Amino acid sequence: MRQWRSIAKEAIDRASIIVKFLCLLHVTDAYVVSSNHVLGPSMLPTLNITGDVVLVEHLSHRIGKLGSGDLVLVRSPLDPNRTLTKRIVAMEGDRVTLSLDPTRSFSSRSLVVPKGHVWIQGDNLYVSRDSRHFGPLPYGLIEGKVFMRVWPPNSFGLLG
Amino acid sequence: MLPTLNVTGSMLLVERISTRTGKLRPGDVVIFRSPEAPRKIVCKRLIGLEGDQITYVVDPQSGDRCETIVVPKGHVWVEGDYIYNTKDSRNFGALPYGLLEGRAFWTLLPRKDFGPLTPKPE
Repeated sequence: MRQWRSIAKEAIDRASIIVKFLCLLHVTDAYVVSSNHVLGPSMLPTLNITGDVVLVEHLSHRIGKLGSGDLVLVRSPLDPNRTLTKRIVAMEGDRVTLSLDPTRSFSSRSLVVPKGHVWIQGDNLYVSRDSRHFGPLPYGLIEGKVFMRVWPPNSFGLLG
Repeated sequence: MLPTLNVTGSMLLVERISTRTGKLRPGDVVIFRSPEAPRKIVCKRLIGLEGDQITYVVDPQSGDRCETIVVPKGHVWVEGDYIYNTKDSRNFGALPYGLLEGRAFWTLLPRKDFGPLTPKPE
C-alpha cells in the first residue's frame, strides 16, 4: 500500500513539472515571443518566397510601440484563419497616396488612415494583396512584430 | 445593449471556443475588440455572418430610411439591442471576424438577471 502511494506521489510530481513547463511554453509563445513560418512572394526581397522561420514578439503592439516601417504579423480581414506578414506604411491619422492607374502617372487618390487603423503593404507591390485592396486594417488584428529571422541559416539576423 | 444588459454594468460569462471553431449563429451576444479604439472591448449582438443580406435602419432617430448590404467575406455584422443609442456596425461598418474575442452566454450580475442571455427582443 505504501509502495503505491510513493509511486503515485512521484508520478504526480514528475507530471506537474511537465505541466508547468508546457504552461510556461504556451504563455511565452502566445504573449512574449513566438516562431512563425512565413512564405509567399509578397514580401520579396525582405523575406524569401520559399519560406522563412521568423521570431515574432507580441509585446510591442500591446503597449502601442508600433510605427511605420515595422514588419508585422496580422490576421487577414478577408480570411480569419490566415495570418499575413506585411509592413506598416502609415499609422492612424497619416495620409496615404495610391496610384490608380500605373500607366498614367498623374492619376492618384489620397486618403487619411482612420482612427484605430493602420495601412499595411507588402514590399513586393506587384504581387501583394494588402491595404491597397482591402482598405485600412483595424489595429486589433495585429498579432505581433517580426524582428528576427532564424531560418535559413545563411540569412540569420535581425530584420526590419 | 438595453434591455438585455444592465445600464450600470453586467458581469457575463464568456466562452472563447465558439469564435475559434466558427460555430457562431446570428442572435448570439459577442464581445469583440473595437475597430476604432483597439484597447476597448465591446459587447453587441451578432446579426449577420459573411454573405448574409442585412437590412438595417440607418438612423432610427431621424425616420425609417433603410439600407440593405451584403456582409463581405471574412466579416460579420453586429448591432446593439438598443438601436437608438449604440455605436455598432451601422457606424463603423462590417466587423472583421478576427476581432471577435468570445461569445457571452450567461449573466452573473446583477442577481435579478442571473441566467442565460435572452434572444433579441422584438
